[in-house]
Amino acid sequence: MQFQLDENQAAVLAGVQAILQHHQDLPASHRRGWSYYDMGLDDALARNGYLDIGRTEGMGGVESALVVLEAAKAPVAVEIGASALVAPHISASEIPRPICLIRGDLMKAQRFLPVARTAIIDTGDDVLVVPVDPANVEAVESIFAYPFGRFKSRPDLAKAVRLGKATVAPLRQWARVALACEVAGAMRAAIDFTVDYTKQRKMFGSTLAAYQAVHHRLAECHLIAEGVRALALKAAWSGDESEAAWAATYAQMNIQKVLFDTHQFNGGMGVTNEHKLHFWTYRFRALQAEVGGQSGAALDTADLRWGPPGAGAIDRARVRVG
Amino acid sequence: MEFAWSQTHLDYRSRVSGFLEKELPEDWFETHQKGLGSKEQIDFSRDFCPKLADAGLLTPQWPKEYGGEGGEAWEQFILAEEVWRWGEPRGPQYMGVNWIGPTLMRFGTEDQKDRHLKGIASGKLVWSQGFSEPQAGTDLGAMQTKAEWNGQGYTVNGMKLWTSYSERADWIFLLARTGPERKQISVFLVDMKTPGVKVVPFPGLPEYGHLNEVYFDNVHIPASALLGEEHKGWDIMAFTLNFERVGLPRYIWGLRTLDIAVEQLKAEGRFDDPICRAAAGRIVARFEAATVLTYAVVDERINDIQGTVTPNVQRITAANGCLELMNFLMDYLPDCVAGGNNFLELFYRAQIASTIAAGAYEIQLDAIAQRGLGMPRGR
Repeated sequence: MQFQLDENQAAVLAGVQAILQHHQDLPASHRRGWSYYDMGLDDALARNGYLDIGRTEGMGGVESALVVLEAAKAPVAVEIGASALVAPHISASEIPRPICLIRGDLMKAQRFLPVARTAIIDTGDDVLVVPVDPANVEAVESIFAYPFGRFKSRPDLAKAVRLGKATVAPLRQWARVALACEVAGAMRAAIDFTVDYTKQRKMFGSTLAAYQAVHHRLAECHLIAEGVRALALKAAWSGDESEAAWAATYAQMNIQKVLFDTHQFNGGMGVTNEHKLHFWTYRFRALQAEVGGQSGAALDTADLRWGPPGAGAIDRARVRVG
Repeated sequence: MEFAWSQTHLDYRSRVSGFLEKELPEDWFETHQKGLGSKEQIDFSRDFCPKLADAGLLTPQWPKEYGGEGGEAWEQFILAEEVWRWGEPRGPQYMGVNWIGPTLMRFGTEDQKDRHLKGIASGKLVWSQGFSEPQAGTDLGAMQTKAEWNGQGYTVNGMKLWTSYSERADWIFLLARTGPERKQISVFLVDMKTPGVKVVPFPGLPEYGHLNEVYFDNVHIPASALLGEEHKGWDIMAFTLNFERVGLPRYIWGLRTLDIAVEQLKAEGRFDDPICRAAAGRIVARFEAATVLTYAVVDERINDIQGTVTPNVQRITAANGCLELMNFLMDYLPDCVAGGNNFLELFYRAQIASTIAAGAYEIQLDAIAQRGLGMPRGR
């Protein structure tokens, strides 16, 4: 077991950071918006091979996860989780991207649909890969910091490529890994942004950062972000269904805490679009309900450890630690 | 970055679990239910730890010259996980093996090492820690117990509180004031049979054996009892607490306890409730986060990465898992602390003080804020 990055991983991280340094702010025209999809970043990551790094020989889940996690620290949005972590694990052939992952009611607003070229639909019994016709999509205004849109009319699923029922579990597993990586990265950025603000903002003659009440809550946020990161990377490395469920559970159950505390310590500024905080917090807020939400992930965690409802005594062989 | 166990580590885990399965008696769990500080468990561990020592499984990470196996930190943690999976048959020995022993290796004289390390490595001696006092728990600098130079040695007067296992301990790792200034504190290695040392156990919410008062009434100890330099106890404590803060693998005990609770809920036909199942799933996620963060601490130790807050992050994450599990027990199996299930009660009562002992929860958060987030000292 080794937590330090190896040479290849360090090179991947340095490479993606070099690209991201040019995407740390939004154009003035979008500065006060809800979200900004950075096509330039999307293009740069794709051109340099970071979005299909999981299909590259010698690379795998950890490298893909590191890219997703790092990209999620930027205030701009880019579709990367489904491309880098989900698609390589459910389809041998490349899937046109950006990708919109859909579960539940097809006609509700969906994350990334306005920019997507493909929708991957989890019907529960099958996984459908459907080309997205941009003319059939309307953008939906949302406080979530991702582009959201909905289909104008039900897409023709007869044209879908059907990946089969066996693909449902890996789709959910890797979507959970992807969301945990995105949550970890966005939480890290929101916490760092907030710590920086508390060091500058003065109140009653001291900076906010000097108050222990502020210390403790941001320290709690920090340990949550570290835990989500560690679980997400381990789940990406192992390709284990249980580990993906743990990562998603831990990420999604803690979103409210980190969102509330980071906004609280940015005070009134944090609820204005002039401040950048919402570009991170309302991305991880949007992930709270994905892939069944925290309850779904926690229930799957329980099923995987103790058997489904109605199961008999605990099968000790399923209960593993370490 | 990769998370695979090496074959050596897998083999080591099998060796430990195989030994425990073979050597622990059938009635071990009856002893275990009495509690870590109970007479039954301590008597048992005095017999069992020498067997572990003979098998090379008590101090695997210690250098060979001190009776260890010269192993690495991973082996210490794998061993800890496996023994906790079996309810920690070492009893209080983990304290001597994991914290006091390494501190003696770092700061002890050759005579002290010769005398004490062999005793710890044999598994026959029980140590306790004399740190806290009524007015000096988290704020150890406020301690009042004094050790005054009497021309030949030291005379100790004062009282320690919350000293786990001291009723049956052979030695105490004692912190005492040797000067009037706040940081003039020294560490002494004191034989519990020394005249003037008196232990008074008293009841409380934590499991039996954890709450003891230790009185020092004109206790004369030799100069050779001083560990390290006089007045430099603070440096020694920083070293010791660094080991202690990683602490025992609460995540293993927690997951094992949760399995026992789920087993009971299943037997009672109550574990199909999705609210209960999701609550249990969330606790698993907390303990698994603590697990991987613990491994990150071990990795930092092996790579000599110092000064990070990963140990603090790990400790709080594990404590949060314990708190949520305690709450789960009160939601679904409250009779566990009313004679309903001794295993669950043992966990519940042992964890009551887990956010206070070995660096209070808030002290850990201060460390994370200051050293991890670069925030100024709080007010």
